[in-house]
Amino acid sequence: MTALARGGHRATLRSRREARAAYLFLAPWFAGLLVITVGPILASLYLSFTDYSLLEEAKWVGWDNYVRMFTQDTRFLQSLQVTTVYVVVSVPLQLAFALLLALVLDRGLRGLSFYRSIFYLPSLLGGSVAIAILWRKVFGADGLVNAVLAVFGIEGTGWVGHPDYALGTLILLHVWTFGAPMIIFLAGLRQIPSSYYEAASVDGAGWLRQFRSITLPLLTPIIFFNLVLELIKSFQSFTQAFIVSNGQGGPADSTLFYTLYLYLQGFKRFDMGYAAAMAWVLLLIIAGLTGVNFLASKYWVFYGDTK
Amino acid sequence: MATPSRPVPVLFRQFRGGPLAKHALLIGFGLVMLYPLVWMISSSLKPEELIFREPGLWPSEFTLENYTEGWNALKHPFSYYLWNSAVVTVLSVVANLVACSLAAYAFARLNFPLKKLWFAVMLGTIMLPYHVTIVPQYIMFSKLDLINTIWPLVMPKVLATDAFFVFLMVQFIRTLPRELDEAAEIDGAGYWRIFMRVVMPLCLPALATTAIFTFIWTWNDFLSQLLYLNNPDNFTVPVALRTFLDASSDSSWGPMFAMSIVALGPIFGFFLAGQKYLIRGVATTGLK
Amino acid sequence: MNSGKKKWSAALLATAVLAVTAACGSGSDGGSADGKVVLRFSYWGSDARQKMTEEAIKKFEEKNPTIDVEGEFSDFASYYESLSTKVAASDAPDVITLEIRALREYATRGTLADLSSKVNTADVDAKVLATGAIDGKQYAIPTGVNAFSLIVNPALVESSGQKLPDDTSWTWDDYVKLAAGVTSGSGGKVTGTQLSWNPAYLEIFAAQKGEPFYQGNQLGVSPQTITEWWGIMQNLIKDKGAPEAAKSSEIGATSVDQSLLGTNSGAMGMWWSNQLGAVVKASGQNLELLRMPKLAGAATGGMFMQPAMFYSASSKTEHAAEAAKFIDFMINDPEAGAIVLSDRGLPASSKVLAAVRDKLPEADQKTLAFLDEAKGELKDPPAAPPKGASAMEEMLTRYSEEVMFGRMEPADAAQKFIAEANAAIAG
Repeated sequence: MTALARGGHRATLRSRREARAAYLFLAPWFAGLLVITVGPILASLYLSFTDYSLLEEAKWVGWDNYVRMFTQDTRFLQSLQVTTVYVVVSVPLQLAFALLLALVLDRGLRGLSFYRSIFYLPSLLGGSVAIAILWRKVFGADGLVNAVLAVFGIEGTGWVGHPDYALGTLILLHVWTFGAPMIIFLAGLRQIPSSYYEAASVDGAGWLRQFRSITLPLLTPIIFFNLVLELIKSFQSFTQAFIVSNGQGGPADSTLFYTLYLYLQGFKRFDMGYAAAMAWVLLLIIAGLTGVNFLASKYWVFYGDTK
Repeated sequence: MATPSRPVPVLFRQFRGGPLAKHALLIGFGLVMLYPLVWMISSSLKPEELIFREPGLWPSEFTLENYTEGWNALKHPFSYYLWNSAVVTVLSVVANLVACSLAAYAFARLNFPLKKLWFAVMLGTIMLPYHVTIVPQYIMFSKLDLINTIWPLVMPKVLATDAFFVFLMVQFIRTLPRELDEAAEIDGAGYWRIFMRVVMPLCLPALATTAIFTFIWTWNDFLSQLLYLNNPDNFTVPVALRTFLDASSDSSWGPMFAMSIVALGPIFGFFLAGQKYLIRGVATTGLK
Repeated sequence: MNSGKKKWSAALLATAVLAVTAACGSGSDGGSADGKVVLRFSYWGSDARQKMTEEAIKKFEEKNPTIDVEGEFSDFASYYESLSTKVAASDAPDVITLEIRALREYATRGTLADLSSKVNTADVDAKVLATGAIDGKQYAIPTGVNAFSLIVNPALVESSGQKLPDDTSWTWDDYVKLAAGVTSGSGGKVTGTQLSWNPAYLEIFAAQKGEPFYQGNQLGVSPQTITEWWGIMQNLIKDKGAPEAAKSSEIGATSVDQSLLGTNSGAMGMWWSNQLGAVVKASGQNLELLRMPKLAGAATGGMFMQPAMFYSASSKTEHAAEAAKFIDFMINDPEAGAIVLSDRGLPASSKVLAAVRDKLPEADQKTLAFLDEAKGELKDPPAAPPKGASAMEEMLTRYSEEVMFGRMEPADAAQKFIAEANAAIAG
């Protein structure tokens, strides 16, 4: 604003200087975009229009892969459905869980850093090969859950091996590894100037009011970040389904995640062209969702830098 | 605790029943969450043949054999793989901290032509699933003759391609009040100085988060390390761990569990160290 | 403020270190600095196999001081992903280990070199050797053989008040009855058997009905046969000879050491014969191999031998002669055989087998005796399956589970399975 008052010439000078600085700050990122990201992304776009077995040269087939995906491939639709259910259920659940624990573990009790670490541990294990076995120990036919149910006289089933429940156990696995969003929430909470709370305390606001009028609004950029990222990440979920279902998406395709199916097509059926087309459809889906997210964010996300 | 005098309201105040009950609640909840880990630790202390035969948590026979065997079972002692992982991981952390914060500052605070477009492009790079770019990327690095070096693992980080962290830092920087920058600008500071002296120190929680996540995710990353470091002399921990398993024949479960626990050590340690820096970033005075 | 500066200089320093480290790293990149030929050899497996293989490689390098063999190995789950990525980047290893179901995929796409007359195969059974040949070219040399068979824990069968069957004459009904008997006889502590969806199992069953599994680029199995085959498993579940569907699919996704037989909670199971050692080790019990049950009145038992793995050479290798030499060493040299033993199946070379016979672990001696005894009844080893066969097990498992959970009618599922399988292997 001050620059404007001093006259247009200075303003352009200033904005030119600012733009130059910005591009300097972004120089490594631009280099990375050019050297590492753009090539492979364009290559995958090209491949999505080809018949490419990985072992031979790619052959141009036009829109074939895309047409096949939407007209002939029921497993593609199945994978889309599985993934949608997974995303819609697990993302809000995990974020709510992470935010709740971040609030609990933010301050006010002895040994909080100990608890934080404990609750983060599952996330350290999340992608480990051991997880397949550990999950069976909990949700398998002879697992912990059934042992607990048996105490109440209920006979459980093999939850990981049943097509109706297997996806549910993977959703729980996702919620279980809530450590990453929790840490981001914690860092976000720490970013809120404590003077705000001090002022509010002086005014006699209770915790709920402080939460509603200080914590929540100031945390919205972080909530937004976690939401956007968790949506993207859970759409791309792969490792856990891969490990738990032994790479197959079973039982009976009930855990056939989108990227798992993409992987099976690309590397097990030697149909990398089709896999690339699937990747681009996924990109469009996620980009659409993220776009909606950003548009909606104008109504609920509050930034410290907006005046 | 870092700042005990904070007069801040706590969710816990709502609970009646004092700190003891809260601790009990947290510990109980923690135990449920950690059951799989406890099972793994218990299995790592059992003789290998009992792991799947004996259902109980408490081993009927204690042994450290899995640890000694796992440590020495592979071509090199396990410390060798820990070191390989440490090199890749530490370099990645440093690279990400520097490169991502530079880019994030520009996106969050500076105005420049096409900013919205570039920001969208940056987000777009997070969205493409890994399995499709991996083949073209491998082809590229192989043409550059960089297979079996750490370049394919570290160079993307040096060049800020981990857009996740750029976005993370952008969101954090945007929560900071602009007045701080403006005050520094009035004092005659340039963008570089504002970045170094104002924004970065206030972003300590975000930097700590970036460091923690980069460390953990790089430490656990399997596929790219397997692809790019495929000589057994270059193996990292996640790759080495998988070699205990063989889906079609007998796997060394005991040593695998034991070494998984050993491999948890460094990331857990880094997490413990890193989370201390998740302290309050913004000074309490001078802001209204 | 000061700490910011310190951090910055630390970052710069680290970047410098990074550049240096990376520069050093590239020095060790597969070149032949000391004039040696570097041969890359890819295989999958566990730590035990890696140790053995490294030992064999060392022996080879002693005998061939001008060749330096670099083993590239990974776990099985990621093996093909990493291999095909390397092939796509024209960065294929010189010597490649493959399984039979992926062989045609790689061979017919120009990835593999013809090894005819480059590797001595005089001591390998001609019929077994033929499985590695496609269109008259020997793309791959079998490492060793296997047969898909039934493994039983006699002690558990007997303690449940049942008798071991006469495996030369038993039928599928006998099998279901025995399994159910074990479960009820043990009061549910031991389950009779566990389900298998291995295509080899269906192949054996189909052979008993006189149907080949593959007929050219088509499935040769009829829907009726598949329906009947599923009937066996449905009866097993119904009579409690096998765990209910959910538990069965849970167990099906695990490795042999977590199987019912491996954990002594089941009395039978079906695996490849070279997995006997692993199951024995897991269970700590004395286990026996049995012939598969037969259909009443079937002309053949349908069992067959199949190579466990193959060695092949990349068609793009610059060191074709050395690659062949290394494969020759691994197949024919008794010293290599003495190290590798039966890790890659019972040695395909009769000479090597004779030389190492007494050194084989007990379980493998048993397998050998079993195969010798059953030899006359075995079918010829099947040719390499068509392209797309790598997905067969996954497809069969999926449709089988649909049927076991009652989500699809068997006849309908059989039709759909055949249609999907035919589409996958057609091209």
